[in-house]
Amino acid sequence: MFVARHIAADHKDLIHDVSFDFHGRRMATCSSDQSVKVWDKSESGDWHCTASWKTHSGSVWRVTWAHPEFGQVLASCSFDRTAAVWEEIVGESNDKLRGQSHWVKRTTLVDSRTSVTDVKFAPKHMGLMLATCSADGIVRIYEAPDVMNLSQWSLQHEISCKLSCSCISWNPSSSRAHSPMIAVGSDDSSPNAMAKVQIFEYSENTRKYAKAETLMTVTDPVHDIAFAPNLGRSFHILAVATKDVRIFTLKPVRKELTSSGGPTKFEIHIVAQFDNHNSQVWRVSWNITGTVLASSGDDGCVRLWKANYMDNWKCTGILKGNGSPVNGNSQQGNSNPSLGSNIPNLQNSLNGSSSGRYFFPPLDSPRAGSRWSSYAQLLPPPPLIEQSCDADTASRQYPHPRRRSLSRPLNPLPENEGV
Amino acid sequence: AMEKMSRVTTALGGSALTGRTMHCHLDAPANAISVCRDAAQVVVAGRSIFKIYAIEDEQFVEKLNLRVGRKPSLNLSCADVVWHQMDENLLATAATNGVVVTWNLGRPSRNKQDQLFTEHKRTVNKVCFHPTEAHVLLSGSQDGFMKCFDLRRKDSVSTFSGEAPEAGRADGEVLWVCHRPPDVFPESTKKVGLEVSTPPSRPPRLGRRQACDSSPQSLQGLPPWLLSLLEPLTFSPHGPPPAGQSESVRDVQFSIRDYFTFASTFENGNVQLWDIRRPDRCERMFTAHNGPVFCCDWHPEDRGWLATGGRDKMVKVWDMTTHRAKEVHCVQTIASVARVKWRPECRHHLATCSMMVDHNIYVWDVRRPFVPAAMFEEHRDVTTGIAWRHPHDPSFLLSGSKDSTLCQHLFRDASQPVERANPEGLCYGLFGDLAFAAKESLVATESGRKPYAGDRRHPIFFKRKLDPAEPFVGLASSALSVFEIEPGSGSMSWFVDTAERYALAGRPLAELCDHNAKVARELGRNQVAQTWTMLRIIYCSPGLASATSLNHSVGKGSSCGVPLMNSFNLKDMAPGLGSETRLDRSKGDTRSDTVLLDSSATLITNEDNEETEGSDVPADYLLGDVEGEEEELYLLDPEHAHPEEPEYVLPQEAFPLRHEIVDTPPGPEHLQDKADSPHVSGSEADAASLAPVDSSFSLISIPHALYDTRLPPDFFSALVCDMLRFYAEQGDVQMAVSVLIVLGERVRKDIDEQTQEHWYASYIDLLQRFCLWNVSNQVVKLSTSRAISCLNQASTTLHVNCSHCKRPMSSRGWVCDRCHRCASMCAVCHHVVKGLFVWCQGCSHGGHLQHIMKWLEGSSHCPAGCGHLCEYS
Repeated sequence: MFVARHIAADHKDLIHDVSFDFHGRRMATCSSDQSVKVWDKSESGDWHCTASWKTHSGSVWRVTWAHPEFGQVLASCSFDRTAAVWEEIVGESNDKLRGQSHWVKRTTLVDSRTSVTDVKFAPKHMGLMLATCSADGIVRIYEAPDVMNLSQWSLQHEISCKLSCSCISWNPSSSRAHSPMIAVGSDDSSPNAMAKVQIFEYSENTRKYAKAETLMTVTDPVHDIAFAPNLGRSFHILAVATKDVRIFTLKPVRKELTSSGGPTKFEIHIVAQFDNHNSQVWRVSWNITGTVLASSGDDGCVRLWKANYMDNWKCTGILKGNGSPVNGNSQQGNSNPSLGSNIPNLQNSLNGSSSGRYFFPPLDSPRAGSRWSSYAQLLPPPPLIEQSCDADTASRQYPHPRRRSLSRPLNPLPENEGV
Repeated sequence: AMEKMSRVTTALGGSALTGRTMHCHLDAPANAISVCRDAAQVVVAGRSIFKIYAIEDEQFVEKLNLRVGRKPSLNLSCADVVWHQMDENLLATAATNGVVVTWNLGRPSRNKQDQLFTEHKRTVNKVCFHPTEAHVLLSGSQDGFMKCFDLRRKDSVSTFSGEAPEAGRADGEVLWVCHRPPDVFPESTKKVGLEVSTPPSRPPRLGRRQACDSSPQSLQGLPPWLLSLLEPLTFSPHGPPPAGQSESVRDVQFSIRDYFTFASTFENGNVQLWDIRRPDRCERMFTAHNGPVFCCDWHPEDRGWLATGGRDKMVKVWDMTTHRAKEVHCVQTIASVARVKWRPECRHHLATCSMMVDHNIYVWDVRRPFVPAAMFEEHRDVTTGIAWRHPHDPSFLLSGSKDSTLCQHLFRDASQPVERANPEGLCYGLFGDLAFAAKESLVATESGRKPYAGDRRHPIFFKRKLDPAEPFVGLASSALSVFEIEPGSGSMSWFVDTAERYALAGRPLAELCDHNAKVARELGRNQVAQTWTMLRIIYCSPGLASATSLNHSVGKGSSCGVPLMNSFNLKDMAPGLGSETRLDRSKGDTRSDTVLLDSSATLITNEDNEETEGSDVPADYLLGDVEGEEEELYLLDPEHAHPEEPEYVLPQEAFPLRHEIVDTPPGPEHLQDKADSPHVSGSEADAASLAPVDSSFSLISIPHALYDTRLPPDFFSALVCDMLRFYAEQGDVQMAVSVLIVLGERVRKDIDEQTQEHWYASYIDLLQRFCLWNVSNQVVKLSTSRAISCLNQASTTLHVNCSHCKRPMSSRGWVCDRCHRCASMCAVCHHVVKGLFVWCQGCSHGGHLQHIMKWLEGSSHCPAGCGHLCEYS
């Protein structure tokens, strides 16, 4: 169950990205208003803006934190064709007295001739590296050879993707068995269908990144892409936000079976594909164990996806951005008086007018084809019954009036197994 | 790629514009373009080009080349061109050599040149016709002068100097100017250009305005009512230009609504407003930009709105109707602004292009100053000239560029960065919190949803039409929320609790398993609890209990590099024995790996284990497959299965005392020997004991006949390893690592080093995310992977000063070499600190953590009395 805490962001235009730091205590937002804001979580759990500054002369598309081992470091990228690295300055200053921290620009990366659409720091074990991608289809990988000197970055690699790039994701695996790998998504919307997700892998032999795989099935514009935290898995999980949410697994084919020297070959499976947003999907984000995927779409909802032990992915929650709870029926645009009237009471119990409460869908007595009966399957006892993954479709068949009144809060995952 | 196949017909009263996005190649780079008032012709001018093109539906057609004559004159090197909006035959060009030329297309000869004005000393940057007067032409030049020409005369009618009136003033001075009409002033000050300099203590200095007969006065001498009318004129940050040197004029534009007014912009950031009848002084002047102001444009409808663009990458919209020029909008572009043009029929739209770096043309809604409403990306080099094709048509934009092309852009073919911009941000937090930022219109109503039908930016299906009449919905803004997960329901608090409460070493295996099972059960993680219980059953079944009680060397054993030696205490062994055993053990490992590849469930049991020691008795027991998936049963002959067996007889001789360990019951002792002695680890056909298996023990199915047989734990190692992998693949690397540590050598050999290292690294990373530094360090210490255990070996040196003599301490510990006193005395209780010692980096004094914390709650001074203001953070 979730409680929504609304934050008056006070950005003057759209917010394009939010990013938690390594420890989850700080948050950065960036906006078209050319600024980045840093938010710190207080003891009481409130988020306070501790810095807000103009970072670019165009929309800031992405903001991302470096591993804290390198200091309090942020990178941002913008429509103004640059990416920038920022560091928080410690020490006494007037800013500090006002509860504000001071961030200074350490470097500006100006190699792109077009809008820089994404920037991501490489996994820590690779050192202080970052990758950018731009609308002209070039992925650039920079390295700060001296981690103490954030103002010197050298351009190590330029990878041409041929298509306008919108997003990148590093493979976070620290295993020696996995070469550095980066997935690139394209939002190119030209009608000639081309695969929009490419995966590049670093080769120790050639010291270059080479294309390892192309996800041929993704032909619609891709807006976000995310490798799941690896956490000791032998394979990789990749989420793609396109016209729907897709989850792929990439199992490295054993090296000895492939021709030596070339890039790793992968056995790629699409393990989930959901069009429940019924619209463009803009963002995907993994929880830290890589077991729950959150996606957000043009429907303004956040949906949570989780696999059971048979790798069967299901929707386990829907969160509406404006604080109203979502149940199965509101999907069809029906009003839901009985549930709606419950909400104020719950809010009162929270003593917070700005708080909304979110419910996972009620667990009704399992009924074949009923929307939430699939949750029972998250528990171990086999055999597993294959069911339609489309929860919306299922609920459409059962607009059961009685279920609306059943709004008792429910934890859909009675156990935290493998969460 | 530039050709986009869309066509637009726009009704404009009687006439209609048709056409498509198209371009044509020019012979040379363009510097400027201008459109004929019929909207059917465009003139392109540059250093070596001066041509008129007809704009047809499908293409540009060259109509006239105005560069005639055998040797091109410098007069033809054009910096600017303008087509009169009243007279279709009248053009004017500004030459780079300072000449202003007019052209009459009605002339019968090939040479259409009409008049030549050679009054400017340097490049003329801009020429401008009066919007309604047929004969009035204005020019602005690099030499700092603006000239007004009456085309019926041979010379200029008047010259306006851009020389700043404040020339010679020092920085920080403020010029007070009053812009009220003269009639509000009493007789004594009845002058338009009243100005006074401050500070009043200094004698007022005036620039060239002294020519006017307004008498300078100090502010103090002025009546209060007059003071209220004055406005300060701030100075350019660049400071005033040297006296007498004029600032270069970058743009001149006649006001569309005010007959006598024109605006001029300067390289020093100033904008001046002039009355053409008064060349002696400007009506008003203000600093509009930081750095050169390259361009300005009067709003076609809003009287008094002037847009200016500068090198500071900004476009500012000024309301000139108020008594002080007021900035009403400010657009931030990504590069210096070279041209700005209001879009016809769209009150808040303007087009800009840049003179450096950026080749695109942007159309902005000034109310949304950060994101361009539309973008034209056709040009490959700097765009030098832009012009809307018709003063009442918002759809057609023409542009010339240094890339030697002339383009017609259709607004509907523009790319829209707004549409491409991602309206949402989403990030998963550590504990399962979600930060979500979304465009307010998406989350506010259900109507925000758009059904998906192909890409919504796709021009055919979903392209939002840029409708000039479309009402502006206000600035787009996003709602930011953090969805905080409540403890329990999928929160990661279980991870923290588990990490903190698990016991990984220092106790017998059975106890560790029991403890961890209990922890897991208390946290509601039943499957994990069950797993721990199973592990206990497997590795420390009741029959094995006493033997496994010796197991506490899990961590110890590994740390001293000797594999598990359950039946022996290291100190009981001969010094050489340990290493010998290790050697043997490593051989056993190699072999066990190869065996495991053959069959994951190779196991034969023998109840009568005492006699089968040495593995020379064939075993013929049947055992159900542990995976429970296949019904196959294995019948294995150990001698065939392991032909290299004799090789492993040798290690047993390293255990001469084996049978003299007497106290333990035979069965367990035997099993434990098996577990220890290298050759058993290879799953060979030794007998082993298996504890009675609980029937609820569902993961493995064992035939009833075997209930009271005894299986060696190695029988399960493949299964346990699979289980660990399962947990890792499920994202619970905590379980994988915890079991790995607790079981130690029992399973380690069956999992390749790389995987173990990967698990350790992943788990440590997770622990550090949650700031579980102590657990993380414990895991590092307990790990056997070299790459991991070196993690806490780096940067372990602390340099400390002696708290008495303040000199650096040597590495001798806590006794100072010089003053021979113990440096680790608590400044509060004066006892030697054992355990956590905290000290001030400023004065080197410190003590027990608790004492110092308590002291500093009440005092900010050092407890040692040294007077230092210590800070505890």
